[in-house]
Amino acid sequence: MTAVTDVLHLLFTANLWQATLSAAVLLLLPALGGVISERSGVVNIAMEGMMLTGAFFGVTADLAWHNPLLATGVAMLAGALMAAVHAVVSIQFRADQIVSGIAINIFAAGITVFLVNRIYGVQDVGHVGQSELLPNFNVPVLDQIPFVGQVIFQQNVIVYVALVILVLTHIVLFRTRLGLRVRAVGEHPQAADTAGINIYAIRYGAVITSGLLSGLAGAFLAIGVSNTFVPNMTDGRGYIALAAMIFGKWTPFGAFVACIIFGLGEAIYANNSTIHVSQYLLSMLPYLITLIVLAGLVGRSTPPANDGIPYVPGSE
Amino acid sequence: MPLGSVVFAFVAGGLIVAATGGNPFAAYAGLVCGGFGIACTQGENPALQISNTIVFVIPLITAGVAVALPFRAGLFNIGAEGQLLAGSIACTAIGIKFSTLPTVVLLPMVLVGGMVAGALWAGVAGVLKATVGAHEVVTTIMMNYVAQWLLRYLIIGGPLQLAAGTSKSLPIGRGAELATVLPDSNTLIVFGLPSSVYRVHTGLLLALAAAAVYAFLLWRTSLGYEIRAVGQSQKAARYAGVSVRRTIIVTMLIAGAFSGLAGAVQIAGVDHNLTDKYFSDTTGFDAIAVALLGLGSAVGIVLAAVLFGALHAGGSVMQADAGISGNLVLVLQALILFSIAANFVGAITRRIPGFGRSAGPPPETPTAALMSEAASPPPEPA
Repeated sequence: MTAVTDVLHLLFTANLWQATLSAAVLLLLPALGGVISERSGVVNIAMEGMMLTGAFFGVTADLAWHNPLLATGVAMLAGALMAAVHAVVSIQFRADQIVSGIAINIFAAGITVFLVNRIYGVQDVGHVGQSELLPNFNVPVLDQIPFVGQVIFQQNVIVYVALVILVLTHIVLFRTRLGLRVRAVGEHPQAADTAGINIYAIRYGAVITSGLLSGLAGAFLAIGVSNTFVPNMTDGRGYIALAAMIFGKWTPFGAFVACIIFGLGEAIYANNSTIHVSQYLLSMLPYLITLIVLAGLVGRSTPPANDGIPYVPGSE
Repeated sequence: MPLGSVVFAFVAGGLIVAATGGNPFAAYAGLVCGGFGIACTQGENPALQISNTIVFVIPLITAGVAVALPFRAGLFNIGAEGQLLAGSIACTAIGIKFSTLPTVVLLPMVLVGGMVAGALWAGVAGVLKATVGAHEVVTTIMMNYVAQWLLRYLIIGGPLQLAAGTSKSLPIGRGAELATVLPDSNTLIVFGLPSSVYRVHTGLLLALAAAAVYAFLLWRTSLGYEIRAVGQSQKAARYAGVSVRRTIIVTMLIAGAFSGLAGAVQIAGVDHNLTDKYFSDTTGFDAIAVALLGLGSAVGIVLAAVLFGALHAGGSVMQADAGISGNLVLVLQALILFSIAANFVGAITRRIPGFGRSAGPPPETPTAALMSEAASPPPEPA
């Protein structure tokens, strides 16, 4: 029973929730990307690969130019480039979007290690200096609020950026004409086409946005949370993000709640080594919870109506 | 022509090697040597290279069948990896627990145990698909990760761990091992090397049998007819009196059994214990490429498995001989997938009806039958 009381005690520490938010943001960015992509009707299981590519190019750029902001930009571009491949293959060529997503993930796993080998000659790419990491930033005044100050206002800059993106994604998707168009394209592209919406432009934009966000998450992982690139360092986070997207029923805030739950599990382990539950069993939980959600025990999770269906002009 | 995909992948891969300052010809020479034992420059033993390739080919055939069968029913099983790991775990657990039993009893036990574990793993996805319409791609991805973390738990601090600080399990009993084709002898010289270095094992026969069973099942049994009917049109299948739900579940169970067999054979025939090598195993994902490249036919699957097996076996030789990272193999594999998906999807959908199906919405009423309504329009040439 000590494990239970330990966890309960832990739940009232700000450290835990601070770590939870940070871990959640790593999942939130690709999850938002997934939401945007799938709302437009393009299935995206390639966040893992886009994130991994972003992580690699982020570290490479940071090591070369010693500028974390520039490196983050490079990481986002790298993610977007992978997304563009997914977009061309699945929108233009109407390929199976799942096969394309798998190919992206395999490609990313292969090309990053291949490039580590070509560029650095060994398995180790070296470490980014402390001053070249994405900085933590304490929001003046607000960070003095007891508990909440530490949890929300003493974070890495990317955490603030991600929270802003979260709100923006929600507003754009549900409160703007652009968002209505994205959702229309994902739900009923024929009707959207008739209404004069450029389906391809919307879908390309949405998929590439998912790449930008996943690349950003990769940069946060590699030169924020960590300070180097390790092969396969995303370690399934892109897939957990996919789970969070489904768990959150394809909504930004729903995905955020899921990311907090998944992030909490990670933070509990990281913050307390006295819990006598295997880290590996804990790591299983996001996937098991998602299966339970999918089984309909926590309400139905329904994807956009035309998710995964290539648009063919003139089709019924 | 899937051959075109392969050519495209090798050309694009060669460009990537050249662009990063490597010599693509040296890289591919290394791959050919490592994969087929041809044109070796560093004195590699051709027979040994071929033997290594076959060791890779064995699980690829069986897992390839596990992906190809659900394709025929319009299901995308990307969970072959998880099912394979479940099979490996079950095989190892049984092989350790009953390690004293003789081969005649224990070997069938571990193989069947692996098949049952794989079937259960895939069955979760099948049941969820058939009852609540949960998309099998998502559920099998989740089950992949559950298997991966379960494996880590079991051999790092869990009940199967060999000793504290290690990340491997105890070895399975001798009776659970599949025999190698050549005797395990250090004195018998075959093709210039002691016969014990050749790891080709009798699991090859099981893999070929799996491919044969797949073809027989699909084309010579009523279940195969039902699977194909469901893949072509769930609505039509229903009119023909086929229980779509039952077919979906049975298809996934059989597919899982194939994957589980692949995992069990890998333990029984090659490794004899679970190791951290299995954390980064990609056989189940390679199997997707095998099934697609093989166009879902038994012969095609075997040929595609030979190609990917040769690539994997060749990767290490390429790395040693040409200094090109063996991970180029993953890049080539991804490129093959891209080009199959992008250029040849039309050809594949014609051959495997129901493959170009959607990740469409689960129906409001959770009957599997309604899921056919979500079928995608037939892709047209771009």
